Amino acid sequence: MSSVSTKELIHAYVQLPGVLRENFKELRSQAKENLDTCAFTTKKDEEWRFTDLKSITSNKFESVDTGIAQADLELDEYHLPEAMSSRLVFIDGNFSPSHSAIEGMPDGVIVGNINDFPEHEQLRSHLGTMTNYEDDVFVPLNDVNFQDGTFIFVPKETVIEQPIHILNVFTHRNNPHFVTPRVLFVGEMYSKATIIEEHIGLSDNVYLNVPVNEFRLYSGAHVHHARIQRDSKNASHISRPVAMLDAHAEYHSYTICLGSKLFRNEPRVIQNAEEVDFTVDGLVLIDGEQIADTHSIMDHRFSHGNSHQLHKVVVNDQAHSIFNGKIFVAKDAQKIDSFQENRNLLISDTGKVNTKPQLEIFADDVRCSHGATIGQLQDEEVFYLQSRGLTEQKSRELLVYAFALESVESMAVKSVEELLLKEVIAYTNRD
Amino acid sequence: MSEETKALESMIGEEYKYGFTTDVEYEDFPKGISEDIIRELSSRKEEPEWMLEFRLKSYRAWLEMDEPEWFNATYTKPDFENLLYYSAPKKRPSLDSLDDVDPNIRETYEKLGIPLEEQKMLAGVAVDAVFDSVSVFTSFKEKLAEAGVIFCSISEAIKEYPDLVKKYMGSVIPARDNFYAALNSAVFSDGSFCYIPKNTACPMELSTYFRINNMESGQFERTLIIAEEGASVSYLEGCTAPMYDENQLHAAVVELIALDHADIKYSTIQNWYSGDENGKGGIYNFVTKRGICKGNHSKISWTQLETGSAVTLKYPSVILQGDHSIGEFYSVAVTTKKQQADTGTKMIHLGKNTRSTIISKGISAGESNNSYRGEVKIGKKATGSKNYSVCDSMLIGQSCGAHTFPYISSENASSSVEHEATTSRVGEEQIFYLMQRGISEQDAISMIINGFVKDVLKELPLEFAVEANKLLDIKLEGSVG
Repeated sequence: MSSVSTKELIHAYVQLPGVLRENFKELRSQAKENLDTCAFTTKKDEEWRFTDLKSITSNKFESVDTGIAQADLELDEYHLPEAMSSRLVFIDGNFSPSHSAIEGMPDGVIVGNINDFPEHEQLRSHLGTMTNYEDDVFVPLNDVNFQDGTFIFVPKETVIEQPIHILNVFTHRNNPHFVTPRVLFVGEMYSKATIIEEHIGLSDNVYLNVPVNEFRLYSGAHVHHARIQRDSKNASHISRPVAMLDAHAEYHSYTICLGSKLFRNEPRVIQNAEEVDFTVDGLVLIDGEQIADTHSIMDHRFSHGNSHQLHKVVVNDQAHSIFNGKIFVAKDAQKIDSFQENRNLLISDTGKVNTKPQLEIFADDVRCSHGATIGQLQDEEVFYLQSRGLTEQKSRELLVYAFALESVESMAVKSVEELLLKEVIAYTNRD
Repeated sequence: MSEETKALESMIGEEYKYGFTTDVEYEDFPKGISEDIIRELSSRKEEPEWMLEFRLKSYRAWLEMDEPEWFNATYTKPDFENLLYYSAPKKRPSLDSLDDVDPNIRETYEKLGIPLEEQKMLAGVAVDAVFDSVSVFTSFKEKLAEAGVIFCSISEAIKEYPDLVKKYMGSVIPARDNFYAALNSAVFSDGSFCYIPKNTACPMELSTYFRINNMESGQFERTLIIAEEGASVSYLEGCTAPMYDENQLHAAVVELIALDHADIKYSTIQNWYSGDENGKGGIYNFVTKRGICKGNHSKISWTQLETGSAVTLKYPSVILQGDHSIGEFYSVAVTTKKQQADTGTKMIHLGKNTRSTIISKGISAGESNNSYRGEVKIGKKATGSKNYSVCDSMLIGQSCGAHTFPYISSENASSSVEHEATTSRVGEEQIFYLMQRGISEQDAISMIINGFVKDVLKELPLEFAVEANKLLDIKLEGSVG
């Protein structure tokens, strides 16, 4: 593993903006300070032990957000039919009004570019309040650098019927560059929304994608959040999505990892009051020399919480999957029911899987369990399909497809499900 | 209550009952650690030159190492300069007869119920009793010698069987392995040595009782067990220690070597003083235990019941080098009061078609913290290998913690690893069900806990299993409900 310090990682490989950006100055100057003081080496750090950061440290990334998006880009094929009037498009991190379409939203709802609402009360009071990652440089990097981003505010008892599609596209550029997408979602009491967050690389160029998401769900708010990562196969993607839940809130997130050379995802869900329900599912399909690393935290700070995590991984070729899922149950957070499962399908002799599901429990009246498996396709299953007339190759493809299907079927939006099925087929069917 | 259980109870003790000390004169030996101290220690033990070299090399390695801090426990670090690295009963007894043993020491053994006496021979237990640092008596020697089994203190082995010791000591746990193993390699005082020759089944269960007696002497035991081709042995280790306020360090090293078709079973009951209600006193148990399945079709099995010590850091491991070799780890770790245990295992699969099983049960009560930390690693060449792990935790009370840190990795597409873990408490419904059948609450809880740990305790040799069950009951009495 590389022994580069993360401080060095940011200062040597990423070119930060010279002057502080205009809005959110307080957040940015604090973040800049954090960047300067934070210095831990990645090699020694337990959290980075297995993750090879070569794809970051072999490049130097420049800042490219000009605030102006490429207006003539053809993106129709990436639009979701369900979200034709509820779409925000960011091109290389820059908001593109001409590609976006927000119409017919219920009263009081805000869906727009973060930079257009710098003084909005909800934005000011929530931005940067949930992302307390320890010894971290990536959140501060995003804090300092983000220009445009998504701001969604759903008022009390309001339901947004159509899914909101946040589309981040990355165009071909010759020089390595970095992008810092940002999402702030605030759902008031008993509001409801579906968010589809997509990252698509249009080419196979090198870039560094560092998204930060903050989801604040007040009592009874309900969110379905799908994250689909189809970055360029040479990109590095390091994301920090956080959700904080009040009583009776429900947050269900599904992260699908298909692209990028290096993927490091650190989802956190914080139970901030009693009686919540959440899901942190993931599906990872990797091959070639891809590295996909998920470090999740399900943080139960109050009693009566349900949480569920199913993290499925298929590893082919020389790919490397890392999983570290933590379930925390604080003292006195009784009656927690938490389940975590990590299933890895290792289908090549050169692939590698590291997994570390982790329980840290300080309350006695709980039911917490986890399971992790690393295995391969059962010979009997392959034989069964062959006996029905399929070739061995086809049988294996079908079984991998079936393995991935469970995660895909959790998608709430039809067209997303279809899109993912195509991706799964493309992954399994390699000729 | 039957006579037998009464006797057991009095032996195990609800409060720590082994907190008596024996008055034996100790030889004067300066405190602290340095090359001179090691030379002095080695010369007093009349060790050969190569042994001294081994110690000095280890000491130099130790000097360069940092004390580990990665585990899930906090404690006051031992002051290595203030420890006594050598202590031995002054009057070295002759080995001909029990009568020659210092009467005080014999009394201690009798209080502990160690079967050193003639009549206990019939029980079929050979005891190599380690009183602090020097073996004072070894029984059953003749019977073992008949079978060709060597079972003696490590000091004796260094003199009598230098070739074997030279070849295997440090081969499984190199001196540089970790901080405490390095320290042990430099200053180990004594321990047991066991060699089972080719195609021999050891005629009896071997057992050793360790006892920390001198207030300032850290114990640095060294155990080496070698099972030749087709040999098999079952080794038992049980521990008790006197009650003291000052923390005492115990940094043992245990190495097991199994050649082709050999089978080693190593069982431990650890019930050292765990400190008082406020977490004052208690033993630091920082042990490095590792076995290597060197030969094909060999097997190493660790079984442990950990109930004592203030802080336990212990990861008995198996390196599965030979093809078709098997590694097993069965563990029950109980923590009460302010105890901290960070324990688990490592199964390193290197050979083809290797198998490993891990069953770990943690019970935390009081204000204690109990962690399982394990590693399962399937190497590139370990095709067709399988691992199965279960680690369950039970919490009793609202101030304790249970933690699970399993590291799992595989680089092989024909192997499979399964891991599962749960954390829960004794269910109210379960207690209610048993109570409505006429069983008292205390008995119901004890039955449920016994059920919870059954998978592990059944792996213990019979005479240990009875004691172990009772120990658990007494240990947890009063913490449930």
